Amino acid sequence: MPFLQVEGLCKSFGGLKAVNNVTFDVAEGQIIGLIGPNGSGKTTTLNLLTGFLKPTAGAVTFKGENIIGRPRSQMCPKGIARTFQIVKPFLGLTALENVMVGKVYGRDSAKSLKAAAEESREALTRVGLADKARMLAKDLTLMQRKRLELARALAAKPQLLLLDELMAGLNPKEADDACALIQQIRQSKITILMVEHIVKAICALSDRIVVLNMGEKIAEGTPDEIICNPQVIDVYLGRAHA
Amino acid sequence: MSRTSPEQSRRIQIIFILLLIAILVALPQVIKSDSTINLAVYVLLFVSLASSWNILGGFSGQTNLGHAAFFGAGALTTRMLWLSGWNLFPSLLAGGLVAVALALLIGVPAFRLRGVYFAIGTLALSQILYITVGNMLPMISSLPAQDLAVYQLAPRYYLFLAIALFTIGAGYALINSRLGLGIMAVREEEDAAESLGVSALKHKLVALALSAFFGGLTGGAFAFYHVGYYPQLTFGPEWTFDALMMVYIGGMGTIVGPIIGAVFFVILRELLALNLAEMHLIVFGTLFILVVLFLPGGFMGVWGKISKALARQQ
Repeated sequence: MPFLQVEGLCKSFGGLKAVNNVTFDVAEGQIIGLIGPNGSGKTTTLNLLTGFLKPTAGAVTFKGENIIGRPRSQMCPKGIARTFQIVKPFLGLTALENVMVGKVYGRDSAKSLKAAAEESREALTRVGLADKARMLAKDLTLMQRKRLELARALAAKPQLLLLDELMAGLNPKEADDACALIQQIRQSKITILMVEHIVKAICALSDRIVVLNMGEKIAEGTPDEIICNPQVIDVYLGRAHA
Repeated sequence: MSRTSPEQSRRIQIIFILLLIAILVALPQVIKSDSTINLAVYVLLFVSLASSWNILGGFSGQTNLGHAAFFGAGALTTRMLWLSGWNLFPSLLAGGLVAVALALLIGVPAFRLRGVYFAIGTLALSQILYITVGNMLPMISSLPAQDLAVYQLAPRYYLFLAIALFTIGAGYALINSRLGLGIMAVREEEDAAESLGVSALKHKLVALALSAFFGGLTGGAFAFYHVGYYPQLTFGPEWTFDALMMVYIGGMGTIVGPIIGAVFFVILRELLALNLAEMHLIVFGTLFILVVLFLPGGFMGVWGKISKALARQQ
């Protein structure tokens, strides 16, 4: 039984088929990259997997349980956490409180608010925000907000983590830091499905890559297979890259 | 200047609060003027009403434009039960619970929609009740002669004091709880909160129910306090909008803000009404607009900025 099984997933917005018959499996402990041109349905797929959108058709099975149609607020306690392409911090709360929400409401939640605060402090340290704990999220920079969002999702102790363009908007140095963070998360045996545009980063991190175009899966394989795949080069990577 | 540690400043806070409560408890024993106690009753009434509005409006970020419906429902229920022979406390509790039932009636459908539906829904609910109660109960509700003969102001004052402390305490306990953290997370960013396992609908409904319950209790205390009034009065929009203005002026989403706002508002209104009669409405309208435009955090926001600036100077 695969850890996460996506079968024939479809989502139409009126006449537009944003995601069309997408099927793939994710094994436990893997990092799966999801790439494709703008509008190919990557974020829509993530939204379907986390209950933010209801699919038109298809099945999603997580640890043997069908999770389609469940309210989105039930996904995190089940072990699925996500980040957002445009970060969504709780602006008026402190960095510590941001992370505590994940600790208190996530899977295997903290026993008390005090325990949650202590564990959240550790989570902040792990992403390098230890000294920002008492700052309001609205006073953090973009990179710090991305780190915060990651810490918040990790605090919920997910088994499956969905990252939506964590590296978008970061400079090369920050993107390298983000890569290191993801490597570090892999150590803790969390399965990751990541949407990303930086091909170098996604090839370095992913075990396997799924390529979408116009809502359909056009390729799936190891990073080496994907960067040599002529169809992928045509629609996404471009000749210069190959 | 030596800096105070967090524990020290916390101890100072607790002592200050206890001292304030002691003064409030001693007040009717010291001051024998009924008009002063009546003013204090109104201050406490609005401290409770503003704090209860703030539980929903400030902590969960949902704008309730019909708090008068909960105040009025509490007042009407308590008044009817109490005058029909029930004991006071069960009558008050019933008033609070009727307000909660009414709140869920509007909250369950309205919170499933985003945007202004809840604000419009609550406003409509309170106006419907205002007109309906006016039509169905057009007669003044007066205390019977045997109750009037033994009417005492002090127990009324203490009831308002207890409800004010209860409401403030509940707000404080809420924001320092897991539930309160979830409620504030929903206020700040609903999508992110839900992605972390916080059910927005459930948390909004909890905040609404608490807010309505304390609004209803305050209404019940009013019904116990007032000698004679038209039942419609307690459903009037001024109960909503006075409370709302106090919260904005004092500082929304804080514990102290609604208290300061209510004290400031009631005392200033008293002074203005003595000198300007109905003109005080214009003063408050202007003040409200100025606060919203230039001091979005209210008095508490200003205080926060000042103390931050002072801390930087040290």
